[in-house]
Amino acid sequence: MNALTQTTTSQPLIRVSGLEKQYRQHMAVRGIDLTIRQGEIYGLIGPDGAGKSSLMKVIAGVLSYEAGAVEVFGITVDSEPAAERIKHRLGFLPQGLGLNLYPELSVEENVDFFARLRLVPERDLADRKARLLAITRLDRFRDRPMKHLSGGMKQKLGLICTLIHEPELAILDEPTTGVDPVSRRDFWAILTELVQERRMTALVSTAYMDEASRFHRLSLLSNGRILASGTPSEVQALVPGSAVTFQAAPQLEALARLRKTFTQVEAMGPLIHVFTEETERAAAKQRIADGLGDITAGEVRVDDPDLEDVFVALLLRQGRLKDAGDVLPPSSARLNRDGLAIEAKGLVRDFRSFRAVDRVSFQVKQGEIFGLLGANGAGKTTVIKMLTGILPPTGGEGRVAGADMRKAGGVIKERIGYMSQAFSLYLDLTVVENIRLFAGIYGLDKEETRTRLEWIIRMAGLAGYESDLAGRLPMGVRQRLALGCALVHRPRVLFLDEPTSGVDPLGRRHFWDILSRLARDEGVAILITTHYMSEAEHCDRLALMYAGRVVTEGSPGDMKRHVEQEAGHLFEVIADQPAKAVLELRRAGFAGAALYGTRVHMFCRDPVRDKECACQALASSGVTIQSVTARPLSLEDVFVYKVMALEDQERASVSGDSV
Amino acid sequence: MTSAPGPGSQRAAIWWRRLAVMTRKEMLQLFRDVPIVAFLVYSFTLAVFITGNGIRSQLHNASLLVHDADHSVSSRELIHRFQAPFFRLEGEIADPQEGLRWLDRGKAMVFLEIPPRFHEQLMTGEPTAVQLLVDTTNSPQGLSAAGYAAQIVERFGQETVQANVGSSEESSQNLPIIVSDHRVWYNQDQNDTWFESISHLLRQITIFAILLPAAALVREKERGTVEQLLVSPLTPFQIMISKVLAMTVVILCATAVSLFGIMQPVFGVPIKGSIVLFFSLTALFVFTTAGMGLAAATLTRNQAQVGMMTLLVVAPMLLLSGLTTPMEVMPAWVRHLMALSPLRYYVEITHGILLKGAGSSTLWDSVLAMALLGGALFGFGMWRFRRQFE
Repeated sequence: MNALTQTTTSQPLIRVSGLEKQYRQHMAVRGIDLTIRQGEIYGLIGPDGAGKSSLMKVIAGVLSYEAGAVEVFGITVDSEPAAERIKHRLGFLPQGLGLNLYPELSVEENVDFFARLRLVPERDLADRKARLLAITRLDRFRDRPMKHLSGGMKQKLGLICTLIHEPELAILDEPTTGVDPVSRRDFWAILTELVQERRMTALVSTAYMDEASRFHRLSLLSNGRILASGTPSEVQALVPGSAVTFQAAPQLEALARLRKTFTQVEAMGPLIHVFTEETERAAAKQRIADGLGDITAGEVRVDDPDLEDVFVALLLRQGRLKDAGDVLPPSSARLNRDGLAIEAKGLVRDFRSFRAVDRVSFQVKQGEIFGLLGANGAGKTTVIKMLTGILPPTGGEGRVAGADMRKAGGVIKERIGYMSQAFSLYLDLTVVENIRLFAGIYGLDKEETRTRLEWIIRMAGLAGYESDLAGRLPMGVRQRLALGCALVHRPRVLFLDEPTSGVDPLGRRHFWDILSRLARDEGVAILITTHYMSEAEHCDRLALMYAGRVVTEGSPGDMKRHVEQEAGHLFEVIADQPAKAVLELRRAGFAGAALYGTRVHMFCRDPVRDKECACQALASSGVTIQSVTARPLSLEDVFVYKVMALEDQERASVSGDSV
Repeated sequence: MTSAPGPGSQRAAIWWRRLAVMTRKEMLQLFRDVPIVAFLVYSFTLAVFITGNGIRSQLHNASLLVHDADHSVSSRELIHRFQAPFFRLEGEIADPQEGLRWLDRGKAMVFLEIPPRFHEQLMTGEPTAVQLLVDTTNSPQGLSAAGYAAQIVERFGQETVQANVGSSEESSQNLPIIVSDHRVWYNQDQNDTWFESISHLLRQITIFAILLPAAALVREKERGTVEQLLVSPLTPFQIMISKVLAMTVVILCATAVSLFGIMQPVFGVPIKGSIVLFFSLTALFVFTTAGMGLAAATLTRNQAQVGMMTLLVVAPMLLLSGLTTPMEVMPAWVRHLMALSPLRYYVEITHGILLKGAGSSTLWDSVLAMALLGGALFGFGMWRFRRQFE
């Protein structure tokens, strides 16, 4: 807490009061008050369209506003000349992967260009460049043109270019959207380091709730307003309660019963996650048991609610209850669950000399939700493209929806549904026109089109939006429309390539609700890729891809248990000098120690002895420990652990070869 | 048709249904794209009207400045033979140097200088000359001004001579004069409006035949919707052909509006040949030229690029078509190039049908050439499109 008390004494660097911003009739920001102090990493969390970007652009002095006052570095930003006076003291990273960079220039040329633009002395430039490229592990790619970098690498380079002149204030607009967890962790490493060392201040927006713990303070935004502000624990304390996770069968029946008493109930693969206002653990368990009736819950686990639960609870409090259909209308044809929906055997795909996919094999049963995880460029999208018949494989074979991938591409296309990364419907057509178009493309006749149209509108909660243009719909609704269109012909297998980017937590929950019903109720097999590790928890089984290969496969629970066996349990340390604590812990042999906002995370193989050892190390260096608590391992921890281990292996083998 | 639907005919029905929904979708999208619809409407209505009224290759309103050092009956007579609508008399000046300055500043196009004793010399039969200075910066206008002026002066000279030599019938008949008498065919009034408005219409048809399908295709690429289409059971051919079909229909409608709404009623352009033939050949032209647009779309990534690419393709196509400059005046190698432009044949066909009333019997060779060239272009576009996604 010391880091915080330090910051509270320092001057406010940004002061925003009563800010309003309007685009024609649309109010993007409706009255925001915000104070950011020097040396803080301040987070803006909220879905697309919450007003994050507008707020950041106003603070950066690149957008005018209608009402309110904005003060940055003590200068009132109300005119062009005033904005010019703050611009050289800040760095601004706009939203979108690598949008501020020049695709034809190499990594190094991009960095040099931005440094010279900002008049960085050549000697400083050489030092900073070497250091920043090393932390981001981009130094091996100095000569590579920016356009040939992966998404995660582009974003890291974008950050370096924004920070090369060591601005006093960094404004970063969704820097981690579409970036894989490992690159994301690198990203946070640079930022935390610069903030620590140079007393830089950072204002960062994100749509990932699980990044909240990285911030010193944060604001939750929705619909142009701030729902809540404070430190992560202060915000969490706004909605007291517990998150209960357990197994119950039959799952659908259990979900239906619990929904009668609880507002936040969701299926997470085989598990059920419920938020209850009850703070007492035993009482919380009892309430769940009451709600379930004669169904018994197994493996019950009670945790503090995570920020997503809090965000949803706050939205619900505001009366933003979901309009969508709660009951999925049954579709007449239930699919036979026994068969295999997808069977990949040794799939290989080469692009010239580069092997993008290397002997990938896995199976997905009907009615199963299968998650394909991996860093940007690991080969996930290529696998999907081969299985959907867009791309012929170089080697290997596969069966999809009962047809041979190599011979019966046409048959497969009629039996699968596909929803791609980018929103892939026609924005200039209405909801009904889009659905009718895809009904026609899949050859449905008039009668079928009518029944499916009704089904989709009920299923996706689109009633009332029928004649709205798709481009005018809120993100969450668009996503459900896209899902509806992908389901128009009752496919047996559904492919979803990062379907939920930019959707707010409520929308995302609703979306997953539909997916799990499709799988459980109708037996549709679902293959999904995602960068949201909290989403991967919803899958029945996961496969992690690295450099074109599947490196581990199993249920989320199995994966976590496996990593716990290998690396140990996760502990969270709250200490008065967190940055020093990390250094001391690393020196004491806890290589995985990392800073999360003001807290430190570390792995302990032996909970009792290691903990003791860590405490001693910290105490002897003068760090006062406030608490050390065990934390449940998240899938993000699993992902990062696995990928880092593989990268270390690779590096070891490369250096071994060269010796 | 009445037989029970077997699997074959059912598949065919689905094939057609797919094509129909895709074509309908293209139309819907086009009509929701307000800027492009505005551009389309303007190009086929107002622009045709303006071009038809505005552009003249005939001499019109050439400003004439006169220095008359004689001030006699003959000089006045000559000056008044320069008449509207070809010439417009700006006035007389006393100083010939002043006339040159007017020419320099572009305020006058033709400067006529009549020497002293002009009348006297004419009457006495002495040789005399007038000086005519013409600004040919705008060469077609300047050259025709020079031509007209020479004709006027020559005729004036002849008539004066005839009058002087004697009014007797015989003597004038004995003079060896060749009278060139010409008769204009097809466009008897030598009305520029017809030619210009038809040329403009053909230019617009060409531009939109390339631009519309290209924009439609590139929009799908830009927004990522093409991926969704490729995982559906549509074939690349269906994706492409539906765009071309929709745009052909739109362009044909626009052509009809232009022809029956502006050119025929306002300018009185005659439609001498068969309308059905004209529209079917226009459809063929648009359909095949669209192939070029599709090829352009495969080379570009967004709408801005495709717009520029269209300019790049259209400019040489128009130049080589004979629309602005007749084929006969081109150097030999350019004429060979022109043989490769489908637009050239389409221009011949249109002029043939609309102004000459030609039928398929006279136009068959142009039709054949256009169909072959256009077919090759369409095939090329199709090949590029397939290759891009395989």
